[in-house]
Amino acid sequence: MAQHDNHDDHSHPPGLQHQFDDMGQQMDSVTIGMWTFLAQEIMFFGGLFTAYLVFRSRYPMAFAAGSNILDAFWGWLNTLVLIVSSLTMALSVYYAQKGNRNLQVIMIVLTMVFGSVFLGVKAIEYTDKYTHGHIPVDGWNMVVPEGEHGEDHSESATLTLPFETRVEAAEAGKDPHPNPRGEFQISDKEVELVTLAQEEGFLTETEKVGYFNNRGEFDRDKFTDKVQIFFWIYFVMTGLHALHMIVGLGIMLWLLYKAWKFTFSAEYYSPVEISGLYWHFVDIVWIFLFPLLYLLGRHFLAGGH
Amino acid sequence: MSEEQHIGIPGYLAVFAFLFIATIVTYVVALQDLDGMFFPGTNTLVALAIAFVKMTAVVLFFMHVRWQSRLIWLAVVSGFFWMAIMFAYTMQDYLTRSVIGF
Repeated sequence: MAQHDNHDDHSHPPGLQHQFDDMGQQMDSVTIGMWTFLAQEIMFFGGLFTAYLVFRSRYPMAFAAGSNILDAFWGWLNTLVLIVSSLTMALSVYYAQKGNRNLQVIMIVLTMVFGSVFLGVKAIEYTDKYTHGHIPVDGWNMVVPEGEHGEDHSESATLTLPFETRVEAAEAGKDPHPNPRGEFQISDKEVELVTLAQEEGFLTETEKVGYFNNRGEFDRDKFTDKVQIFFWIYFVMTGLHALHMIVGLGIMLWLLYKAWKFTFSAEYYSPVEISGLYWHFVDIVWIFLFPLLYLLGRHFLAGGH
Repeated sequence: MSEEQHIGIPGYLAVFAFLFIATIVTYVVALQDLDGMFFPGTNTLVALAIAFVKMTAVVLFFMHVRWQSRLIWLAVVSGFFWMAIMFAYTMQDYLTRSVIGF
């Protein structure tokens, strides 16, 4: 504000739109506008969380089994990455308010770097789901022909890349799962979990109807269907979240351009502040997604139940 | 409108440190059998409680709501309030049904 003291009342601060009386009113208006948008976003993700709530309350053990398929380390790492990016975002707002263009640019670049790392980890995870048959659409998973894993792959080991990835998948999966039609499938480990839960008497009546056939025998196909519901929710929720991250990176790119051209100052920084609100909101969504998707029933395995 | 730099760099770093530690705590706690120690669902409740506190820290300090006007507070709180209504009315239906499969 100091640099405008020598002007009269008719001079406009840079960045003040003509429909606002002063910078304070403009800042209030854009903030309430953004929060109204975020309230809508809360409902947007809220619908998905509601679907999660309904299905998890129906089939808690299938959700625990599905959650144990996910690699909690990647989810945990991504949580940390997003928290760091939130810090750098908050600092870029801070430096915009200070009028420090260089540090502001650095913080925006760091935010973009951490955002990209998040998406990279997500890509690793999605690839892993693809090679292990955990994408909930039949035919969308990697095709692993029957009998092509195990000992007989040695003579054709000099062949091309598609074969190599198949071998890697078979080795990484420990027990090679033939998946000739690229279907969604679960491993024996998840089946073990649910039979264990039944012996311990953890299953609800709804779950018994959902996982067992009319003669009271465990039905692997019926159980797989319920785990598939978990993976539908996993992919839709993390996918929508990743889409928000990509949009956020686009906003950051625009912000970087503006900051590079010395647009923001102590008087005018609302675009940085508002973009920050969006970025932090996406972070908050992940703060909930991490425990709700990755950490279900972990203590069954860790506690040696 | 809020003034100046809010909590400054030490403040931001403190909030970050809290979020960082809370994330580690979330992971460690998830490996403990709290369900068996207390009652079924404790693990989930603890995880959600930590997530809720983390969210509050982000909203208040990183998103600067702590320094905003009452109007902004209203917008924030009503957003979460309407989501709570959606959860409550959905679950009062599903939780009171008998055994069904889908």
